[in-house]
Amino acid sequence: MSVAVGSRSIRLERRLHVDPRRSALIRVIGLLASLVVVALLLAITGRDVPVLAGEILDTTLGTSFGLQSTAVLATPILLDAIAVAIPLRMRLWNIGVEGQFYVGALAAAGVGIYVDAPGPILLVLMALAGALGGALWILVPALARAFWNVNEIITTLLLNFVAIQWVTWFSIGPWRDKEAEVVSATPEVGARLPVLIENGILHIGFFLPLILAAAFFVVFRSWRWGYEVDMIGGNPRAAEFAGVDVRRRIMSVMLLSGALAGISGMVHLSGASGRLQGTISNQYGLSGFIVAALAGASFVALIAGGLFIALLLASGVALQGVGLSVYIVLAVYGLALIGIGVGEMASRYRLTIGDRREHPVGSERGPP
Amino acid sequence: MSSSDDTRTERAGAGDTVVEALGITKSFDEVLALDRVDLDLARGEVHALLGENGAGKTTISNVLAGIYRPDAGVIRVDREERHFRSPAAAIEAGIGMVHQHFRLIKPMTVAENIHLGWADTPGVITRTMLEERTARVMDEVGLHVDPAAEIWQLSVGEQQRVEITRTLARGARILILDEPTAVLTAQEARELFTVMRGLVAGGRTVVFISHKLNEVLEVSDRITVLRGGRNVVTRPTYGATPRELARLMTGEAREVTADARAAPGDQPVLTIEGMTARGARGSIALHDLSLTVYSGEIVGIAGVSGNGQTELAEVVAGLRRPDEGRILIGGVEHTLSSPRRVVDAGVGHIPEDRLGVGLVRTAQVRDNAVLRSYWNSDNSGRLGLHRGRIAEFARRLVESARVQTSSIHATAGHLSGGNQQRLIAGREALIADRVFIANQPTRGLDVHSTQDVRESLLARRAAGCAVLLISDDLDEVLEMSDRILVMYEGSVNGEFRRGAADRERIGLLMGGHVAEAELESGAR
Repeated sequence: MSVAVGSRSIRLERRLHVDPRRSALIRVIGLLASLVVVALLLAITGRDVPVLAGEILDTTLGTSFGLQSTAVLATPILLDAIAVAIPLRMRLWNIGVEGQFYVGALAAAGVGIYVDAPGPILLVLMALAGALGGALWILVPALARAFWNVNEIITTLLLNFVAIQWVTWFSIGPWRDKEAEVVSATPEVGARLPVLIENGILHIGFFLPLILAAAFFVVFRSWRWGYEVDMIGGNPRAAEFAGVDVRRRIMSVMLLSGALAGISGMVHLSGASGRLQGTISNQYGLSGFIVAALAGASFVALIAGGLFIALLLASGVALQGVGLSVYIVLAVYGLALIGIGVGEMASRYRLTIGDRREHPVGSERGPP
Repeated sequence: MSSSDDTRTERAGAGDTVVEALGITKSFDEVLALDRVDLDLARGEVHALLGENGAGKTTISNVLAGIYRPDAGVIRVDREERHFRSPAAAIEAGIGMVHQHFRLIKPMTVAENIHLGWADTPGVITRTMLEERTARVMDEVGLHVDPAAEIWQLSVGEQQRVEITRTLARGARILILDEPTAVLTAQEARELFTVMRGLVAGGRTVVFISHKLNEVLEVSDRITVLRGGRNVVTRPTYGATPRELARLMTGEAREVTADARAAPGDQPVLTIEGMTARGARGSIALHDLSLTVYSGEIVGIAGVSGNGQTELAEVVAGLRRPDEGRILIGGVEHTLSSPRRVVDAGVGHIPEDRLGVGLVRTAQVRDNAVLRSYWNSDNSGRLGLHRGRIAEFARRLVESARVQTSSIHATAGHLSGGNQQRLIAGREALIADRVFIANQPTRGLDVHSTQDVRESLLARRAAGCAVLLISDDLDEVLEMSDRILVMYEGSVNGEFRRGAADRERIGLLMGGHVAEAELESGAR
């Protein structure tokens, strides 16, 4: 690619080596640039940008409640991002985390409402049910991918819609909370995750993605299983050459991914929402997916990205609170993601500005 | 070829200069790929570009074909200075290139591939119209492939003809062929040479890139040798010798391995009995094949590719399940062993498709070094990898196999082709305690890398390993092997002791002519 400007030509050249630190820095720069654009746009439309910024900081990072709600928001996003990142190491795209989240929440809700057990035991049972539900929801796409090479992107995506319908049906139908006359939700589940601060909303589930990310960081760094998954991701035929049972790895990776998404649903149900309803996920799966993809399936970058996206979403709530339309909030969200994405691309190229006189066989004339 | 030799010497130097490149310089990042290279091409000549990997052959070709823009230098076509901004501009000036890796769309037909992106393609088209036009174009250029066939159905040689036709159809008078024989069988290469001679007889110019001396001597009129991005010499082919060209190419006289070798042992190490197996498409690839390789012996498999050689290697390596037959390694049955058990039995395997199968290009050199041994107790426990020991192992491998890399943490894809193969050959040699299978181990490598890979085979042989060498390069098979087996349609069709092999008879057997070959041997 090359653009001629005056007597100089500017070219983009692909870098052979991309330094990860540099890449991270450029992403941050891309993000800041897009925030500047947002600030300018808001200023042009007559908003008082410093006041808005202060408002956002106050409601997200500035208060204990703000911090807590950001962390609560971050929990399902981070768990979903981990669920996406693991198959992504193998170049498998689980677009169905949203659906697995729903089915996980559904299964956990079933246990939580109808099983009578002491709190901690009930929570464990709910988590098991959530994991099973999520794994079950990805079972068919995993089998289809492993044995018939059916593209998992389509199958996992389509099952999302089915899962949401099931949850909606259960929560307005057979499991509806009839006593409280809640129209579209189930009764509260029998056990809730403990809250960290008295009268607060931050539950201990927030630590789960942090622990899991650290664990998978280690697994992919120094476990045979992680090494094999990475090798399959790099070249499945070479992995077969090395004697790795690729089908088995596809199954284990996808089922694990589904189970984690299901646990994410259980954590959100028992930690935050308390009741199952058709809108239990605020598109956490989508956010988690974006985080995992932008983080390049790195478990370190994923934590930073997930926390940041949660901050953005929380800021969005704050902006809506001061009267900005939801569409503008979504546009801000989109612009910030574009900024990071462009930064990610940009870090793989270098810009060379050369004097065209140094390139006699450059391009003085057009093609004859 | 003998009949065309005379006409060739006559024609050499007779044509006018059609392309002139002067002082072409090109660098990538900080690496200088071309340093003031000059090249002139005459009408009606096959001009060979000879040099090792990294000598700049492909780079200068890409400059001529408008893919790279040089940092400095002048290109003249028909004495007029030209600056190509794109491959389309180059082809408009009459220069077209056929790349080593074909750029064809596999599920589309020959006719569709030829018309794709071609300015002459009519706006409204039908299948039959495209096929008729393609047949006409093929008649004009004298190459024939079924226009209605889909690319994936064609052999590599046929695909190459489609590429050449596509380039010629767009008006190329100067055709650059980048390592065209690297992917071809000996038979197909010969057919290509006939095509090339036909093209230059019609007044076109062919630039032939190769590092195979015999081919260059056989087909070219003039030779330009490049080394390290610089001109070494441009000279007529007539009168050139392989030894001289090899010296110009490498810059040093490399002695061919001395023939003083110990006799093979008498312990059978690899025994295959009555092996029948199917290929990737389900048809029978190996048919009742039996062979034995003894300790300290190199058995070379000669044959036209596609006669079951790759399936043979895969069956032994545990990568393909046989229908019938037995495999014994060191006297132990391994007929249905997993790839991992075969490795643990001491069988190293350099696969034919080294990039597609042998390496994970996105992974580090370190991780590739243990790709086939990471599970053993030196490198890992039940769950965890011993990262420190693996790094140590990788460092030793890089050093002993002479892999040139900045670090063991460099990505394998950034290594040059020769270094990638050194890494694979070195890794597999360490596995090969009993059996070493090398499938096309030196295909496409430069002289130095070839030498290193062959030395590793000879070293395993000296260590008492049974070596099975599969190669399309008959010279290699003849030079390396203690015994030569000719494969044809999935079975062994003939056997020769070292020194007793006769190229012509091997050629006949490779083509399936059992009776004639036997007749001839009987007559002797």
